[in-house]
Amino acid sequence: MSGTAGQGEAVSLPMPTQAQDKARKRGWLFWLLLFVTTWGFSQWSFALYKALDARWIIRFPKQYELQLDTVISRLMSWLVEEASFGWFTFQQFTRFLSALVEAPYDWVRSLLIDGFSTGIGQQAVQQVPPLSWIAVIVMAMAIAAYARNARLALLAGGCFLYLALFGQWESAMVTLASVAIAVPIGVGGGLLLGILSYRVPVAERILRPLLDLMQTVPVFAYLVPILFLFGFGPVSALVATVIYAMPPMVRVSTVALKSVPEDIIEAGRMMGCTQRQLLWKVCIPTAMPSLMVGVNQVIMLSLNMVIIASMIGAGGLGYDVLTALRRLDIGGGIEAGLAIVVMAIALDRVSQAFATRNVRQRFIKGVPYHQRHPLLSTVLLVLLLTTVLGQFLPFVQSYPDDYTLSTSRYWAAGMEWINVNFFDQLEAVKTVLLTVLLLPVKRFFGGIPWAWGIIAMGLIGWRIGGWRLALMCTLMTFFLAWNGLWAKSMVTVYLCAVSVLLASVIGIPLGVWAGQSARANSIIGTVIDTLQTLPSFVYLIPVVMLFRVGDFSAMIAVVLYALAPAVRYAAHGIRSIDTEMIEAGKVSGCTSRQLLWRIKFPLATPSLLLGLNQTIMLALSMLVITALVGTRDLGQEVYIALTKANTGQGIIAGLSVAFIAIMADRIVAALARRSQQRLGLE
Amino acid sequence: MKVINLLSVGLLSTALSTPVLADVESQDPIKLTTHDWTGQIITTTIMGEILQKAGYNIEYVQADYIAQFAGLKTGDLHVAMEIWETTGREAMDEATDTGKVVNLGESGMTAIEEWWYPGYMEELCPGLPDWQAMNDCAEEFATPETAPLGRYLGAPVTWGGFDEERIEALGLDFEVVHAGTDAALFAELESAYQRKAPIVLWLYSPHWAPAKYEGSYIEFPEYSVECYNDPSVGINPDAAYDCGKPVGPIWKVAWSGVEEKWPGAVAAIEAFDIDNEAMGALITQVDLDGVSVDEAVAEWLSANEETWSGWIQ
Amino acid sequence: MTQRIKLDCRGIWKIYGDDPGGFLARHGDKPSLGQFAQAGMVGAVRNTSVSVMEGEIFVIMGLSGSGKSTLVRCLSRLIEPTAGEVYFEGRNLLEMSEAELIDLRRRKMGMVFQHFALLPHLSVLENAAFPLEIQGVDRRTREARAREMIETVGLQGREDYYPRQLSGGQQQRVGIARSLVVEPDLWFLDEPFSALDPLIRREMQDEFLRLQSLLHKTIVFITHDFDEAIRLADRIAVMKEGVIEQIATPEELVLHPATAYVEDFTRHIPRAKVVRLHSIMSAGVPAAAYAGELPGTMTVAEAADQVEAASAPFKVLDEAGVAMGTVASRAVIDVMIGRTMT
Ligand SMILES: Nc1ncnc2c1ncn2[C@@H]1O[C@H](COP(=O)(O)OP(=O)(O)O)[C@@H](O)[C@H]1O
Ligand SMILES: [Mg+2]
Repeated sequence: MSGTAGQGEAVSLPMPTQAQDKARKRGWLFWLLLFVTTWGFSQWSFALYKALDARWIIRFPKQYELQLDTVISRLMSWLVEEASFGWFTFQQFTRFLSALVEAPYDWVRSLLIDGFSTGIGQQAVQQVPPLSWIAVIVMAMAIAAYARNARLALLAGGCFLYLALFGQWESAMVTLASVAIAVPIGVGGGLLLGILSYRVPVAERILRPLLDLMQTVPVFAYLVPILFLFGFGPVSALVATVIYAMPPMVRVSTVALKSVPEDIIEAGRMMGCTQRQLLWKVCIPTAMPSLMVGVNQVIMLSLNMVIIASMIGAGGLGYDVLTALRRLDIGGGIEAGLAIVVMAIALDRVSQAFATRNVRQRFIKGVPYHQRHPLLSTVLLVLLLTTVLGQFLPFVQSYPDDYTLSTSRYWAAGMEWINVNFFDQLEAVKTVLLTVLLLPVKRFFGGIPWAWGIIAMGLIGWRIGGWRLALMCTLMTFFLAWNGLWAKSMVTVYLCAVSVLLASVIGIPLGVWAGQSARANSIIGTVIDTLQTLPSFVYLIPVVMLFRVGDFSAMIAVVLYALAPAVRYAAHGIRSIDTEMIEAGKVSGCTSRQLLWRIKFPLATPSLLLGLNQTIMLALSMLVITALVGTRDLGQEVYIALTKANTGQGIIAGLSVAFIAIMADRIVAALARRSQQRLGLE
Repeated sequence: MKVINLLSVGLLSTALSTPVLADVESQDPIKLTTHDWTGQIITTTIMGEILQKAGYNIEYVQADYIAQFAGLKTGDLHVAMEIWETTGREAMDEATDTGKVVNLGESGMTAIEEWWYPGYMEELCPGLPDWQAMNDCAEEFATPETAPLGRYLGAPVTWGGFDEERIEALGLDFEVVHAGTDAALFAELESAYQRKAPIVLWLYSPHWAPAKYEGSYIEFPEYSVECYNDPSVGINPDAAYDCGKPVGPIWKVAWSGVEEKWPGAVAAIEAFDIDNEAMGALITQVDLDGVSVDEAVAEWLSANEETWSGWIQ
Repeated sequence: MTQRIKLDCRGIWKIYGDDPGGFLARHGDKPSLGQFAQAGMVGAVRNTSVSVMEGEIFVIMGLSGSGKSTLVRCLSRLIEPTAGEVYFEGRNLLEMSEAELIDLRRRKMGMVFQHFALLPHLSVLENAAFPLEIQGVDRRTREARAREMIETVGLQGREDYYPRQLSGGQQQRVGIARSLVVEPDLWFLDEPFSALDPLIRREMQDEFLRLQSLLHKTIVFITHDFDEAIRLADRIAVMKEGVIEQIATPEELVLHPATAYVEDFTRHIPRAKVVRLHSIMSAGVPAAAYAGELPGTMTVAEAADQVEAASAPFKVLDEAGVAMGTVASRAVIDVMIGRTMT
């Protein structure tokens, strides 16, 4: 990847040498030329096609299109219907896996919601009731207290109490049950794969692109094959959740294990650890705080999947959000959505507390059991009491419906008020943005002929990351054209570009502000945390009400979602600047504006670029969801494939999205690396 | 948790109740699919409750409308209560052709899909609901993006509907903007309705929207198979689709194995019959009045005992 | 004292880069520095031979990057040398199987690390008991043994602390306790005190000497600090760019540096700190009045006060306590003020 080290920009001296100056000028010239050429092609491709009567210029010739989707679909039906290992068929194998997952899931569900019963169907007789709401809340508080302290316990208790108060209890427990199963599988599987790629370099090289795909192929694209293989019902939803949520755990595990200090490993070896002891007794415990970061990621991503999972049978809060919005019960949708946020907050804070937990009590002999384990004893006591009392007092068992709160009406009224009073103003803003930004950009990308697009991507890749990146970009771009998805890809790129631009324009200043003021940081932080965990559907529908179906609504939803990394990385970049640098600036007499522009921004560049990278990734993942408000991009293609249950079409379109994401990722990462080197921060 | 385990083991071993087994062909649960719209869930719940009263065990499985056919073919899923002629016909035919899925007949409801406008538009566009009035007030329906053409909010592209062709064939000065999902359709309608703003969009019945909002379907020249297939038929001699959309039944389908395993249940499902009006009322109760599906269904079951008891004879 | 060789290594090479074995072979097993540079290889340890005697403190001294850690890791086979042989108590370490090696390390070797390398999730007690836990020793026994060791290093009362709650010096005490809990014969210390503040470092050095006077281990001690080396060492190996320049006692090193590099190093060292009485005494003990007797192994600095204060010379004794020569205040002052040495 360091093929352009000779370009002269990688090395930096205090005073730019003449050669460097020249190289930099040549760099500008390159980008200018590339842009002008592309713009020219984009502008006149249609005219060119008409003049030469060469339709292939704007459309990849149909007869050469790759028919990969039919191949994949056929492969899929072969897998489902015929593939066999001899003793058993492939489908039996996947169904066996389903059963493995389903058993613990059913158990947790019984524990939290249904209770344990004998007999099936209406002959079922409940033998043991599920945990009462009081018991669950007390358990949540006890776990939080164990992980940190009473304050966290209050937070966790408050979060769960919200679920009961707002009548979300049962759905929340369904969601909790899926999370309770998906997270251990994701964490365990991720850890094992992480260990594998830590131990076996080949495995790492194979896994890395796979993980890239798992993180970038939109979930909608593989829902259909998962349904076929794992059957209908919660298990498929769990499988999809695990696929989506596991990759960060794999990466985090590998990195965490690799960054176990060498001397600790040597210490272990010198003490005579076997390989296994070294791994489980030395490396993994040492890496535990980092591993917990991975666990936290898995939890958050599992919760992100709640909505999509509910589309294929997971039920729970996601299902409530969907059904509420389908009947335009915006308040209901927001309440259920906030329930997801609240649950995310509780799980996030508690799992993070585990990552940094340090107090541990040691056994003190001679103290009675309940004093040695006050938390556990309390939980057991509450469990016993509520289970027994619950038999006689229904409100102990489940929170009484009559006492639930609802804010639904106010949300609906508020929405109507905005709609009636501000629609015209919003419409005016929208029209301006459409004409000055969206439409020109759309025309620009839409006009690029596919052949030039491939060449241009190759050039960009070569310029930024050397011939390897160039090759990758060329091949991936060609894949888009070859599968006849050029036009839709360009719509995707345009929507993504516009959204990322807007998200950066809004997010970076917010981030800079948050990076400089603790107050701003806590407010902004809360808002973007909420925006990220609140299922996008919740705001998608109000956005449609205000901005109508179309690209603009899609863009607003994407910007709202993708804002977070722009803000966070900008804040982080500003905050992590060495204070000495800032002091040096102050001593030289910089005004605070000069300080910002001359010192802080340049030094925060790598961080800003990483933020940009993440913003692009989130924008792309969200674009697929915006297909639901009628964009005509790859997201729509994926969604159409989903509703038609067309495996091949879905996977091809999904891969196309993934390829765009991977190209963007590599290009921006290469840029970030270069700016880091330039600043000597590596 | 250990305690619970111990308790449950204890209780299980001393369980006294031996449930009375009803006299049905198989105690295995019949899996009925539910989708993501209320009407279908109501239909399915009614059927499920009735089957339970007949002694069958029931399981509701949430499944995608089209993807469910894969499950119905393999016997993972057993019964789907609403396959709309208008949107599911293709997938249904493909599935029944394999012989693994059988059609259990009409549900009694009729699917209507058509262009729809809110009542207040009649003031702005006096000729409505006749389709010919549309061109006179196309500008009323226009938005900045579509002007001077009127904006027609179409259904998700996957629903088909041939609206582009219809506009072409009938010479309507309109442009189709496709919503991505039905939720987006209704969001726009709600927004426009609150502001009394012009809108014309795709709606369908049975659904809560035509009940909640006052308005009407546009009256296009009546649908016929020939109109869709043969350009010469209809008012535009050079184009097909110069008429309205077909109305069609909503079908019930099942995995072919159901007939052998639960013949009694199949008879009950085949007998199931409910009309648009009754369903519309149920949907309105649930989606607009906030009654839960279970309550609404229970109420309906107790009010219509003699109807459904006939189905499980 | 007849001494047995505890650890013996011959012709050790450790080369980093692509195909180090092939590189070595291509250059006739003796690549020059220039050839290393040309091939882009790093010769971290080059053709090094060392013998460590039983019971001695053998210090490897050199600037950072000179290959000390690499050498000591070759000696303990934490890394595989590119070429060469290592014998531990006469057994070829490099030919041992993984299982044999593990067994050997469990019983015979201990190691202390520059940055302590304590396990962050274990308490002081658990850390110290960890080597025994690995061996499957039951909890009661291993904790009893670990407590003993913790007491030996002076950390009693902190058994339940976690490493991050301790100061650097305390952490290294835990590291020492841990490395000694299995009673190893051979004790490796890789710059154990380098990460500590100067005052603490001095205290730890005293502690180390105290321990050694109790335990009599065979020790390979690494440092980049020449003062530390001469304070602790029986013998010192001076390393530079992967090669040992000289192996000698501190005194010899100062008095007879083998290379210019070693000389450079030793120049600023106050002679009085390394030169021992037996080196400056005048041989023979003529009958006269003497102020007293001093052991020959005493450094000039240690003896200075007594010798200078006395009006008569001192007898100098050998290890057996027999007087071999005399030392007068003039000779001591010569050393102290750096007047020509002969
Ligand atoms: N794993 C490695 N790969 C390449 N070079 C290494 C590696 N380990 C050490 N070196 C090099 O070997 C030389 C000696 O390193 P080291 O033994 O750690 O020195 P010291 O302990 O004396 O400071 C250094 O130049 C170092 O850069
Ligand atoms: Mg070192």
